[in-house]
Amino acid sequence: MRNVERLCLAHFWVAFAAFLAAAVLGTWQMWVRSPLGANVGTPGQYFLSVTAHGVSMAYVLTIFFIMGFGYFVAVTALGRPLPGKLWAWIAFWIAIIGVVMALVPILMGQASVLYTFYPPLTASPWFYIGLVFIVAGSWIWCVLMLVAMRQWKRDNPGRPVPLAMFATVANSVLWLWTTVGVAIELVFQVIPASLGFGQTIDAGLARTLFSWTLHAIVYFWLIPAYIAFYTMVPRAAGGRLYSDTMGRFTFILFLVYSLPVGMHHLLMDPEHGNGWKFIQVLLTAFVSVPTLLTIFTVTASLEIAGRLRGGRGVFGWITALPWQRPTVLAAGLAFVMLGFGGFGGIINMGYGVNAMVHNTSWVTAHFHLIFGGSVVIMYFAIAYEIWPSLTGHDHASSAPLRMQLWLWFLGMMVMTLPWHWLGLQGQWRRIANFNYADPIISGWGPLVIVSLGGGLVLLASALLFVRNLVILHGGPLPALQRPLYALAVHPPQRVPAALNGFGLWNVLVLILMLLAYGYPIAQFVITPSPGAMVHRVH
Amino acid sequence: MPPTSASEPHVLDRPWRIWASIVVFGIVLSGVILGVLIIPVIQGRSEGIDAYTAICRALGILPGSPAKQQVSDRTPPTPVSQVVWTPDVLQILADARPERGRAKVLEVCVACHGEQGVSVAPEYPHLAGQSGAAIYKQLSDYRTGSRTHESMTIIAKDLDEPTLADVAAYYAAQPKRNPNPATLAESPPAIVRLVELGDPSRNIPPCAACHRPGSGGPIETPILSEQGQDYIVLQLKMYASGERRNDVYGRMRAIASRLTQTEINGLAAYYRAGFR
Repeated sequence: MRNVERLCLAHFWVAFAAFLAAAVLGTWQMWVRSPLGANVGTPGQYFLSVTAHGVSMAYVLTIFFIMGFGYFVAVTALGRPLPGKLWAWIAFWIAIIGVVMALVPILMGQASVLYTFYPPLTASPWFYIGLVFIVAGSWIWCVLMLVAMRQWKRDNPGRPVPLAMFATVANSVLWLWTTVGVAIELVFQVIPASLGFGQTIDAGLARTLFSWTLHAIVYFWLIPAYIAFYTMVPRAAGGRLYSDTMGRFTFILFLVYSLPVGMHHLLMDPEHGNGWKFIQVLLTAFVSVPTLLTIFTVTASLEIAGRLRGGRGVFGWITALPWQRPTVLAAGLAFVMLGFGGFGGIINMGYGVNAMVHNTSWVTAHFHLIFGGSVVIMYFAIAYEIWPSLTGHDHASSAPLRMQLWLWFLGMMVMTLPWHWLGLQGQWRRIANFNYADPIISGWGPLVIVSLGGGLVLLASALLFVRNLVILHGGPLPALQRPLYALAVHPPQRVPAALNGFGLWNVLVLILMLLAYGYPIAQFVITPSPGAMVHRVH
Repeated sequence: MPPTSASEPHVLDRPWRIWASIVVFGIVLSGVILGVLIIPVIQGRSEGIDAYTAICRALGILPGSPAKQQVSDRTPPTPVSQVVWTPDVLQILADARPERGRAKVLEVCVACHGEQGVSVAPEYPHLAGQSGAAIYKQLSDYRTGSRTHESMTIIAKDLDEPTLADVAAYYAAQPKRNPNPATLAESPPAIVRLVELGDPSRNIPPCAACHRPGSGGPIETPILSEQGQDYIVLQLKMYASGERRNDVYGRMRAIASRLTQTEINGLAAYYRAGFR
């Protein structure tokens, strides 16, 4: 570590503070929607809470965590100081100002438009401007990651960039592409509307631009988890990474195929032709490829570790793995949740079946299982893995860590499996309360209460997580120096330029985006729609 | 992975570029052929849509689905109100000038609604601090006959469109009255619940969902705080009986017809006071 501990810890603690607050709000929301909490709180308070929960989890937790983790990887994987540390602090404070600017109107009830905005609803302009600040801070982070990799390549010509850093830069490139859609939407449509310029907003165009961001942002959240899968998990299991090349491929495929696919969030929208939806759904199918590659590679890496530890037979290596280590346990639990969530996602992706589950709890269940489940549990694992090097203290026992991970897994499964079922029965999402006196809806009650139980377990796990990190700041045990990232079975000596940088892939992404989004966006200029009346909630 | 040899790196890298491009574009091309040509043409044929139309619909150049005939609904609309919130109407409201409205108010409206929008008798509504869109909608409805009142119909018919907006803007700009401590009595919990949560079992949405400032309801929704008790009772009864019918989608007629007499009185008493 080269003096970035404070920088990383500042980012992580902002992220985890937002996480804890959002976990409390999430539990409250489940309570008021359940039969136990009927008549508690108003719809206004509910939507305020949902907005705060979504913004905290989707923007604050993720962006701050990913920035902090990026700085950590840049220093530890490249083994050199962070270039532009002052800029990193400037980016941090810009993002903090943004958080405050967005949070105040949310808490004043002037921004209850949820984290996905839903024009023609418009919130207080401060809300959107705050979010722009957060994104602007993260753009500085992207540039710093690119500079760090470029400087390393300049000093190490011909050598492959370490996988963890390659993936981090892939994520920063992805994020720059991703945020263009929402930035255009906010700067040219939503913020002017919320400031009172003009009386209408083209909601179709706004939704299209947001869809550009909406799917790729999920992969931005996800990539740190995949970095941990490829680099930290094989090391923690005591093995080696099965294939470094496969890792590079995976992150490249995420960059290429997470962007021109967002229209599958608009399958029920009328503003696009079926042909465009088909093309983007086909491309969406290819996003499953890097995930399948990862499951194969990481499983193979774990098998190497299991056999090195004496595991025999077809399944014997699984029981031989060191499941008592939090990182290995987290990976195993993440895979189970990724399995359920992934299959649910493949269903969302299909036009016909999506029509059945559209806007139901099924969708909420899907993204909580994928993001809240497999991704966030790997955020926990990463935090547990790197906290000793950040604080200089080690965990006295890993039992509370394992307990926390198990609670998170169980809570998430108990919460989201009933949601899936309720979604199939037609339970709506984005609804403040249900009329349990209705004979159809009353049948949902017991399952809603079960999922509330899952939510309470999640809240307990969130509290335990923060406690597990806090005690390390003053722990008695000094941390041991240990390697963080796994070596590959065949460490690469030289890789093709295509697998060591992003020039080629940026060109392909540009062309794919022009093909997939060119006409769908241009049509709003060619034949402008009448526009929807701006609907102010502030 | 290519072996390390004396070969030049850029020679080794070329196949990567070529094959990556071929694969990526091959996938897109297969999507175009399937999604824009084959599937729409085949689906359209079974519905009697010609190939050209089907392809144009798949591309979004023509409206409609390539797999279905376009449904056309020719039922003539019979709106309960002639007010449509088009950008032009909103612009008229945005351009309204309270100072111009004041002259008309002093000439006509002041007799019943007061100079500052505080009415002189319980059967007339207070207008101070009401939203411009709400006042404009009612004046417009009086003018077009969607709502009737012995004197308001005659008065509104004499006003032109921009004057309506000016008058609305004038009253909208008047300060809200301070809540009168005498009227801020505790409301029964059942009434407060009706305001905040509605009654889902009777399909009654919460009043506050639309009538609270900033609630996000339709823009013509009036703000009810500090409104005259008698006036609210009268309007709810007229909605319930169908005598008043200028509410879009019949929302208020549906709600008011489900309220009991006690609830109507309780809600009117609640809204006589300010918000807590």
